[in-house]
Amino acid sequence: MKSFNAVFVARYKQFVRNRGALFFSFIFPIIFILLFGWAFQNMGTQTFKVGIADEGSPRTASYITQGLESVLIPNNQKEFQTQSGTLTDLLASLKSGNLDAVIDIPAGMDTLGPGQSNDIQVYYDSSLMANQQTLIPAIYQVTNAIDQKLGGYTPTIGLVEKSVQSHQLRYIDFLLPGILGMTLMFIGIQGGLPIIQQRQAHIIKRLGSTPLRRSMLVIGDVAFRLIVVLLSAALIILVGRLVFNVAMVGSWLKLFGMVLLGSLVFVNLSYLIAAFVKTQESAIPIINIVNLPMMILSGTFFNVGNMPAFIEPIVKILPLTYLNDALRQIMVAGTPLYSMTTDIIVLAGWAIFTLGITIRFFRWD
Amino acid sequence: MPDIVVEVKDLFKTYGNVKAVNGINFNIIKGEIFGMLGPNGAGKSTTVEIIEGLRSADKGSVTVLGIDISKDTRAVKERIGVQSQSPALFPDLKVKEIINFFRSLYTKSAPTSEIVKIASLQESQDILFRNLSGGQQQRLSVAVAFVNDPEIVILDEPTTGLDPQARRAMWDVIENFRSRGKTVLLTTHYMDEAQRLCDRIAIMDYGQIIALDSPHRLIESNIKEGAIQFRMKKYPGDDAVANIPEVSKVIKEGDDVVVYTNNIPSVISGLLGLASQQSAELSELSVRQATLEDVFLKLTGKRIRD
Repeated sequence: MKSFNAVFVARYKQFVRNRGALFFSFIFPIIFILLFGWAFQNMGTQTFKVGIADEGSPRTASYITQGLESVLIPNNQKEFQTQSGTLTDLLASLKSGNLDAVIDIPAGMDTLGPGQSNDIQVYYDSSLMANQQTLIPAIYQVTNAIDQKLGGYTPTIGLVEKSVQSHQLRYIDFLLPGILGMTLMFIGIQGGLPIIQQRQAHIIKRLGSTPLRRSMLVIGDVAFRLIVVLLSAALIILVGRLVFNVAMVGSWLKLFGMVLLGSLVFVNLSYLIAAFVKTQESAIPIINIVNLPMMILSGTFFNVGNMPAFIEPIVKILPLTYLNDALRQIMVAGTPLYSMTTDIIVLAGWAIFTLGITIRFFRWD
Repeated sequence: MPDIVVEVKDLFKTYGNVKAVNGINFNIIKGEIFGMLGPNGAGKSTTVEIIEGLRSADKGSVTVLGIDISKDTRAVKERIGVQSQSPALFPDLKVKEIINFFRSLYTKSAPTSEIVKIASLQESQDILFRNLSGGQQQRLSVAVAFVNDPEIVILDEPTTGLDPQARRAMWDVIENFRSRGKTVLLTTHYMDEAQRLCDRIAIMDYGQIIALDSPHRLIESNIKEGAIQFRMKKYPGDDAVANIPEVSKVIKEGDDVVVYTNNIPSVISGLLGLASQQSAELSELSVRQATLEDVFLKLTGKRIRD
């Protein structure tokens, strides 16, 4: 126990005095979250700007305006902004891209009797996906509700609200689990550097002449890295929650288990690298060769479902793909790429494979 | 009957086709400073590393403090202190932290302050290892070998890279340790160090021990003569020099020629005659008593520093 403490404390002190390790474990993921979170804040939670041209039916116009503005998304951002004006001006704004749609309300709408009908016109760019998927259905639902009201039924704005609140992940919801997965990878793989350095400088050889067991050296090292991983995960979840209101919807226990399993894969991978790479100078580029493609191809920043076909086989063997997928399912109930069982089996397979190769080839001297 | 603390019997170790250690036997006695000398690649380091439990022998046995090193390595490691040739320790830890790290690896340990004193780093306890000078790093590396208050300390070139003052301080540390009845095994490149410190010296070459005795007796039994050392431009060759009457041995090492003889005046006049006959220029002529360095040169044909 005394020697475990010694190894753990030594590892801790070296870690906190190493700016690079601190940066990659704590600062880097937070920078990514803030940067991408803010830059793509409107992705998936687009604010639709709708122009309302009232040509003589103020009551209908105000119903539609209120109806649209009361459509909410989960974190209480307005999804629709309205602005009124003349049809000509609003259409000009639509063409220049300042508006997403223009609703033209003709005169006489306020005074329609039962059984009578009149059309309102909706102008929009039908080539934009977001318009077809969200904007137009929302407008239809608002006008339906108003129809009912005009037809003498009780208005139910709540109904409109509910139907538009269909589960839609914001980009930040998608991103956060990916950043967590990426950080587990960084901490795991970079964490192998001290071993390579100490072996290269013959420090490990010197430790070999003391009663310290090699296994204790590994246990202390791995235990420390797991603590760093858990702290970093907590920080990522906290920043996601406080800054972007990303709710953790799944079980904490499952998340904990998945974080440990994912970390194990990458810690093993770092020992595997140390088994084949003898110097710090060659280790750094090799670590980058392992890290960077995984960071990009494993669905950290965007959905790998839309990848070109020739990249797909690569995506399918990378462990981070499965870790990101599993974390996304657990944390924000993201759409699964694979079943949870598949994710766990592939990650466990990676952990066993890397451990086996490491045991076969790793040398302490 | 003296206490034997290290017993090496019939030791063999081969790497590929290189016989690093080729059948050696020796004992180290409690309370002595035992030196190992030899050119690079002679097998010193391999021998020392087998005694430390870092490598296993192909054949033969090593018993340290009565324990077979191949059977209970950890028990031996608890009771010996080891300084390795490479002085590197954790670069991002402070002096004090490194000492405490090593202290906690042993069941028994000396106080931190004592180790700091051995390293003469009282003023630098809170400095990161990476910021120490080369000499300070070397001193700490040696001092850490004393961290478990060992019964035997094994030092691999302890004073390499130290300035003369620090070397002398390190010699004091080693002699002090010995005066407490403890045992030292050391390898060194410095002949004066070996001559000054060691009670007995083993000279190794090609994986074998070619001489083992006290420094005094090594010199006496190998070289009874005095030594004349010189350089000569247009050197006529060892044979021409050896033909001078009363020359017993000629060794040429680089530009230096060393001639051993019992009759120094006669050989010097012979040399002068040879020089004028060859119209060769004689320079840097010196006459001295034989030293350990001469023994080493005579036995291995090499200077210790290659």
